Amino acid sequence: MMKRIMMAALAMAMVFAFTVSAADKVTVTHWYWADNPKYSATMQQMAADFNATNGKGITVVAQEYPWDGGAYSQTLFTAVMGGGGPDTSSFKLTSTPLFTANNLLVNLDGYLNSWKDKSLIEASLYDTMRQASGTKSVYVMPWNTQVLYVYYRPSLMKKAGIDVPKTYAEFLEAAKKLTMDTNGDGKVDVYGFGMRGAKGGQEPWGSFIWARGGNFEKMDSPQAIQGMQDYVDLFKNGYAPPTAPMDGFNEIIANFKSGKTAMTVHHIGSAVGMMETFGDDVGAFPFPGGVGKWTSMGDTENVMLKSAKNKDAAFEWLAYLATGKGQETWCTVTGNVPVSKTVKELPFFQNNRFMKVSIEGAPWAGILPILDTTTDWINNIWPNTVSSALLGKISAAEAMKKLQAGLWD
Amino acid sequence: MIKRNSSIWPYLLVAPALIVVLTVVFVPVINAILMSFQSYDLRRPSRIGFNNFKNYVEVLKDPLFWGALWKTIVWVVAGVGLQFVFGFMLALLLNKKFPGRGIVRSISLIPWVTPGVLIGLMWRWIFDGNYGVLNDLLLKLGLIQESVPFLAQPSTAFPAVILTIVWQGIPFFAIMLLAGLQAIPDELYNAADVDGANSVQKFFLITVPSLKSVIYVTTLLRVIWVANSVDVIFNLTEGGPAYATQTLSVYIFNKGNSLNLGYAATLSIMLTLVLATVAVRYLKTMFQNQEGKA
Repeated sequence: MMKRIMMAALAMAMVFAFTVSAADKVTVTHWYWADNPKYSATMQQMAADFNATNGKGITVVAQEYPWDGGAYSQTLFTAVMGGGGPDTSSFKLTSTPLFTANNLLVNLDGYLNSWKDKSLIEASLYDTMRQASGTKSVYVMPWNTQVLYVYYRPSLMKKAGIDVPKTYAEFLEAAKKLTMDTNGDGKVDVYGFGMRGAKGGQEPWGSFIWARGGNFEKMDSPQAIQGMQDYVDLFKNGYAPPTAPMDGFNEIIANFKSGKTAMTVHHIGSAVGMMETFGDDVGAFPFPGGVGKWTSMGDTENVMLKSAKNKDAAFEWLAYLATGKGQETWCTVTGNVPVSKTVKELPFFQNNRFMKVSIEGAPWAGILPILDTTTDWINNIWPNTVSSALLGKISAAEAMKKLQAGLWD
Repeated sequence: MIKRNSSIWPYLLVAPALIVVLTVVFVPVINAILMSFQSYDLRRPSRIGFNNFKNYVEVLKDPLFWGALWKTIVWVVAGVGLQFVFGFMLALLLNKKFPGRGIVRSISLIPWVTPGVLIGLMWRWIFDGNYGVLNDLLLKLGLIQESVPFLAQPSTAFPAVILTIVWQGIPFFAIMLLAGLQAIPDELYNAADVDGANSVQKFFLITVPSLKSVIYVTTLLRVIWVANSVDVIFNLTEGGPAYATQTLSVYIFNKGNSLNLGYAATLSIMLTLVLATVAVRYLKTMFQNQEGKA
């Protein structure tokens, strides 16, 4: 009898111990995308570091999904609407209206107000997050930003006999002069501008619209139409590769790295790869202004989904990414502009030439209007309308009218 | 008592399958029909509600719908037509006895067993205007002087996606027709030889009539599959450039992907109505064949 009681007590103790240890351990599932295998490994390492150092028994399971030109946001939305999805996720501001309209994000105000590191992030960034949600609350945790600028090849500029463009007119002229037949076979083998006509191309394209004095609020204005005309002319005159209407991120980077294009627009996320390919023969300058000036501020944030099982643990992870070691690690490896003031002050960021150009362009960096139409506009309307204009099926004015209607109507 | 039980028993046996079919087929279909009469845009959840025929009116006024419908017709006619022609040729070849026929038959199945997504990605690189192997071959053969941006111009993008779907579908026709060819008794050809028929006469008077039902059913099936196909086009061009390769199914996918599910459902119903004309004929033929056999 005694033996049985002892056995029962032992069994209960084991069950209790298991339950207690299970209760102590909290798992946070985090979704993210990575532009290359190196970034992928970095995020996994960051999760492992967080798991080893948080001291609160929190285990982050980082799961990677492809960015796929923005389809990531839809994948996340579909998963969460279907009752699945992660506890936290990397995020783009443009998706905020979709997620808040469907009540899928946790309001972070309460967490932020009691967070010791809140002031390490610029107050203006919180304001941008509030604007995106269309409310007075923050639903999106800042993580990092990327300011678009122009990559160029100094050796090709030298060959073309030009200097780094300082004005928009000089930039257009540079695209023309950098279009060259370098091997003398009578065919163009270097194009001046690596144009992105597929999804995502709206970001560099926006700089042309603003340089002529246009803006996104009234895209059918004569100034905006002129910006579009410049964009079309670059392609029609042969200063961009013939594949431009369908060129996306991979193509513009491959074209630049293979020497097929002399200038292209992207952010600091490509800098490491560019330097690996060209060493010192790659430089950067902010997209030059004309009548107006604008460059795209790529943004990446993190969110906590309402379905998160342990919200306190999830916020610990978001905080680690925003101002903790995760911020430093990610921004150092990817070269993205940190949101944490203390990380920004580190020598690595102060001495990086591409970071300097990013910071130089930051004052006129902006984002597209965040509306409930923005995602569809980016994914379907912009690429097809702009390729129609590039291929001469519609005029620049008609294209801008369609783009205006697609975003605002 | 036993009699009553035995009358219920068949229904009980059928019930699980029936429930599964009702759940996974009929419920979504009815849901899609209901959705097509609603403003069902997840980007604007507060506006979700019935709007009668508004979606249908908008679809009929939508130039992208008419463009996509026309492209679907060309896509299906050219795609399936060429698949059939080349599939038939391959079937005739594989029906001949030659060394290594088994290996050739197996290899010829590769395009059919390759996932559509992979086919799309593979052919996207083949057609690539800067680094594609097709441009490289054509340049080396001296057939072109400069690389052609196959997927970046409407005049070549649509033929390129059709070529890809043809490549994918040839083995299906080849295998189905090969099975039909093997079922034709040799006696018919022997008798034709005795009558002095030549190869062309034997082909049109024996082979084709004997394969009539196989051709009919495989073609109709393939028409439905190709019309509904999204994976190949989407991974090649996503419907671009300038909507040049946007068939109805790709348009539906794009609309659904942008979360305007009501409009996407309406487009789906329209495509279903178009395909129903084909499907009804298919079902009729199938039942007629079954009755004939019975």
